Amino acid sequence: MEAGGSLFEQLGINWKLFLSQAVNFFILFIILRAFVYKPLLAVIKKRKEKIQEGLTKAREADIRLKEIDVIAKDHLKKADQESIAVIKNAEDRAKKLEESLVKKAEEKQKQLLAQAQIQYEKQQEESRKEVLAQAASLVKRLIVKTVELKPEAVDEALIEKAVNFVKHET
Amino acid sequence: MEEISLKAQELFNIGSFGVTNSLLHALIVSLTLMILAILFSGKIRIVPGNVQSAIEMGAEWLLELMESMLGSMKKAEQYFPLVATIFVFIAFSNLSGILPGVGSLFIKHGHQEISLFRSPAADLNFTLAFAVISVMVTNIIGMMAVGVFPHIGKFLNFKSPIMFFIGLLEFVSELAKIISLSFRLFGNVFAGEVLLTIIFFLTPYIIPLPFLFLEIFVGLIQAFVFAMLTLVSISLHTAVHEH
Repeated sequence: MEAGGSLFEQLGINWKLFLSQAVNFFILFIILRAFVYKPLLAVIKKRKEKIQEGLTKAREADIRLKEIDVIAKDHLKKADQESIAVIKNAEDRAKKLEESLVKKAEEKQKQLLAQAQIQYEKQQEESRKEVLAQAASLVKRLIVKTVELKPEAVDEALIEKAVNFVKHET
Repeated sequence: MEEISLKAQELFNIGSFGVTNSLLHALIVSLTLMILAILFSGKIRIVPGNVQSAIEMGAEWLLELMESMLGSMKKAEQYFPLVATIFVFIAFSNLSGILPGVGSLFIKHGHQEISLFRSPAADLNFTLAFAVISVMVTNIIGMMAVGVFPHIGKFLNFKSPIMFFIGLLEFVSELAKIISLSFRLFGNVFAGEVLLTIIFFLTPYIIPLPFLFLEIFVGLIQAFVFAMLTLVSISLHTAVHEH
C-alpha cells in the first residue's frame, strides 16, 4: 500500500483534485447539454422536418401537376375532336345549303327564262299585231292617197314618193 | 529552462485544498465554454448564422459518425451530449495549452517560480477523472440499455468456468480502459509540453512553429480518440447479445 501510495504521489494523483476535475466536467456537461446540445438538436430536427415537409409537398405538387397535365391533354384532345366534328358538320351543312341554293337558283333561272319566253312571245305577238295594224293603216292611207291623186298625175315620181313613204312608215 | 514536473504545481490553497495550475486552467477553459454556450444559446435560430452553421456542421458530422457506430439516430442523439462534451472539453483544453502566454506566465510561490497555467491534460488528475467518468458512465448506460443483471452478468458469470474467466477478463479490461485512456491522453499532452519547452529553450524562433502545429494536431486527435473510445464503449455496452 505504501508503494502504491508513493506512486500516486509521484504521479501527482490527488483525490481532491480528481474530484474537482470530475465535478468541473459534470457542471460543463450539464451547461452544454442545456444551452447548446438540446436547443441545437431541436433546431436541426425541426429544420429537417420542415425540409421533409417541403419535399413531400413538392412531390405531391409534382404528382398533381402531372395529373393536371394529363387532364389538360385529355381536354385538348376532346376539344380537338369536337372542333373537327363541328367543322365537318358545318362543311356538310354548307354543302347541303350550297346544293339547295344552286338548285333554287336553277329553278328560278328556269322560271325566269320561261317568263321571259312568254313575255317575248307576247311582245312578238303584240308587235306583229301592231305591225299588221300599221300595215293596214298604211295600206288604207296609201289607197286614200292613191284615190286622191289624178290618174294623169300618177307618174314615176309619185310612185317613188309613195314607196318612200311606205319605207319611211315601216 | 523551466523545470519539468510530472505533477501539476500548487498555486494557492483554499483551506486544505491546494489549487494547482492545471485545475485553474481547466476551470478557466470550462468557464469560457460555459459563457460561450450561454451566449450561443440566445442566438440559435431556425435559419442559422455563420457560427451556428459551423457548429451544426460539426454536430451533424459527429451525429452521423455516432449513428454509423451505434446503429440508430435515436441512440446517437441520446449519447451525443456525453461524447461531444468529452471531445469539446479535451480539445479546448489541449488547444488552450498552446496559446501564447500560457507557458510563459509565472508566479512566485515560496522561493520558486511556478507556471500560472498548465495544460489540463498534462495532469493525471484531469485525464484520470475523464477516464473514470467515461468507464463509469458507459457502464451505467449499458445497465440502462440491457438491464442491470444482464450487464453485471457480463462480468460475473457462473454458468461455466470458461464464462467465469471471460467475465473476469471483461472486468480487468474495464479497469485497463481507465489506465489506458488516462495515460494515453496524459502521455501525449505531457510529452508535447515537454517537447515544446525543450524546443523553445533550444531555438526560440521559427523552429518551434512546426512543433506547435504538431501539438495542435495531436491535441485534436487525442480529444477525438478519447471521444471515439468512449463511443465504442457505449456501443459495446448497449449492444444486446443473443445467446
